[in-house]
Amino acid sequence: MGGIRLDGATKVYPNGVTAVEAVSLEIPDGEFMVLVGPSGCGKSTLLRMIAGLEHVTEGRIFIGDEDVTSVQPRARDIAMVFQNYALYPQMTVEDNLGFGLKLRRVRKNERERRVTDVARILGLDTLMARKPAALSGGQRQRVAMGRAMVREPKAFLMDEPLSNLDAKLRVTMRGELARLHDRLGVTTVYVTHDQVEAMTLGQRVAVLRDGVLQQCDTPQNLFHHPANLFVAAFMGSPSMNLVDAAVERDRVTFAGFSLPLPDDSPLAGETREAILGIRPTDLRHSREASPELPRITVRADVVEELGGVSNLLFLLDAPRVVTDATRAAAEAGSDDEGTLLADDQRARFCASVDGRRNVDVGEEVELAIDNTHLHFFDADTGRVLGDSTIPA
Amino acid sequence: MTAGRLERLGSYGVLTLFSLLAIYPILSILFLALHKKTDLVTGFAFPTHLDLSSFKAAWTEGRFGTGFLSSFIVAATVTVVSAVLSIGTGYAFGTMRFLGDRIVFPIILLGIIFPYEATVIPLYYDFQDVPLIHLHLLNTYWALILPQIGQSVAFGTFWMRAFFRSTPRSLIEAARIDGATSFGVLWRVLLPQARPAVLTMSVLVFTYTWNEFLLALVLVSGSQSHQTAPLGLSFFAGAVRAGDPTKVAAAAVLVAAPILVVYLFLQRHFVRGMLAGAIKE
Ligand SMILES: Nc1ncnc2c1ncn2[C@@H]1O[C@H](COP(=O)(O)OP(=O)(O)OP(=O)(O)O)[C@@H](O)[C@H]1O
Ligand SMILES: [Mg+2]
Repeated sequence: MGGIRLDGATKVYPNGVTAVEAVSLEIPDGEFMVLVGPSGCGKSTLLRMIAGLEHVTEGRIFIGDEDVTSVQPRARDIAMVFQNYALYPQMTVEDNLGFGLKLRRVRKNERERRVTDVARILGLDTLMARKPAALSGGQRQRVAMGRAMVREPKAFLMDEPLSNLDAKLRVTMRGELARLHDRLGVTTVYVTHDQVEAMTLGQRVAVLRDGVLQQCDTPQNLFHHPANLFVAAFMGSPSMNLVDAAVERDRVTFAGFSLPLPDDSPLAGETREAILGIRPTDLRHSREASPELPRITVRADVVEELGGVSNLLFLLDAPRVVTDATRAAAEAGSDDEGTLLADDQRARFCASVDGRRNVDVGEEVELAIDNTHLHFFDADTGRVLGDSTIPA
Repeated sequence: MTAGRLERLGSYGVLTLFSLLAIYPILSILFLALHKKTDLVTGFAFPTHLDLSSFKAAWTEGRFGTGFLSSFIVAATVTVVSAVLSIGTGYAFGTMRFLGDRIVFPIILLGIIFPYEATVIPLYYDFQDVPLIHLHLLNTYWALILPQIGQSVAFGTFWMRAFFRSTPRSLIEAARIDGATSFGVLWRVLLPQARPAVLTMSVLVFTYTWNEFLLALVLVSGSQSHQTAPLGLSFFAGAVRAGDPTKVAAAAVLVAAPILVVYLFLQRHFVRGMLAGAIKE
């Protein structure tokens, strides 16, 4: 009943900025859909179009089976959680929770029942008489969630609801959110620029760039079968290693290395130039990997020991891949990986190896490359090459 | 350490000085009013005994009984009506986009910028026989109320718009999604927070209207019973009646008293409202 369908949704702001361009997306009833992308890519705009807060320039929006393109927000039966929570400052927690029901003339005892239920689920029972100013960030966040939940709407829309919390609380609340969704099963559209949040929360994730939908799929598929360079570079942390390469029938050559291509590898048998992508986790310490895999020997320039894994950063004897897509993805990178060795113009690779392997800076390491998981992209269009799971 | 203390002493010094400058004329008038004519005081003089005779004389001679009533009727009506209207216009200009909003707002602002003295004479002729509806409004309360509502709404729109613009947009949006109509957003979400701003605006408008003199002088001069308190004060001006400075001072204190009382009661809200209008969070 509460699915959402976008049909060529486009938003051009009065100042001429096209924030969302012809996005078509189908969100089935009960799905947890995450919209992710770098800052300014139009995620919030798209969410606000679904909420009815932004006028739709072109295209149509359906909630349930109803065309709501020009329906007032209050008549769409959706609830929204704002980044700054937008709690009514003069009302108590209890009144904040019940406000939407009161406006909808829900009978008093029914209202009280729903408010107490939700308060109990979210652990707000003891805070009911407080005003928002007297709550911590995490508590405000829960009130904002609760305000959406009591309404029992067709869909939840959330715009970076966790971004104002500190890192630890964010992880906790992320878990809570997932649990709540399992329990309530309400269609949810969740906006974030944090790809880790997107991967962990989303049943499916829609990646946006400059207002254009890049790919929409399960986190697993986005990670293993990115449709283009942007998605490849944006999803995953540390991000995918990219380098210019030449494929010649059953071998791929890059930066002075040459690897055999397995028969079922995307470009096996062809001869062409391409951008080669290797996930950091597909570069393993030689001693942990199967002896069949090809090896390369590199010198670790930076070692980041994170405990369970160590990230070895090393420079290749090849120019860094710079396209609009990789630049956009790199700018969006929230972690500090972009700053290390950033001013070197050579391609920088990262290998995530077992943290128990002791590698020192400057040390020569032999790495095994999992050549069954190589990705290839067209240097001009950025599109993935030879991945049969991606529709052309 | 010492620099910090010196600095603090310095700022207290400056603040004290300015407070004294502000309060000196007020105290001076008040003390003067508490004397008798025969005390022959001039300038700043502490009263040696409490004498209210000059107040009594001023009250009757200045007809402050009717003056206060008129002033109160006019000022209260203007304040309430213009507050209601300004909340409406300020809400529209502060939170909504509509056709012509960028043109109409500056026109409304003209009401603040335009010297109202220039309108008094045309108003006199208009109110003899209001165009189109042919009403005679001279020497009625309407002659004072209507123009001052117009003027106060100009200021009030400006003031309330600034307030509504400073409230986070997401609050309005949250309420709209929660099911509120435009009026519901204003009534249930924005106004409860707007109290300091509305109070401050009302105090300013009330003060301004209470003190208004020129309109009253020109437009209700023909009717004793409609004359406002400041007109009563003018009775004491001029060479003939100015023989008793204590009585003039008493009249001045009387006229200023209601404003002072209002201000003292609302002082805390007042300052908060001033800041709310001035600073965007
Ligand atoms: N009211 C507006 N008027 C004009 N342009 C706007 C408006 N709101 C957003 N934009 C522009 O539209 C584009 C998309 O903005 P949007 O807020 O949707 O991005 P976002 O993906 O949510 O970014 P962030 O992660 O920073 O929140 C941006 O280029 C932005 O500058
Ligand atoms: Mg945003």
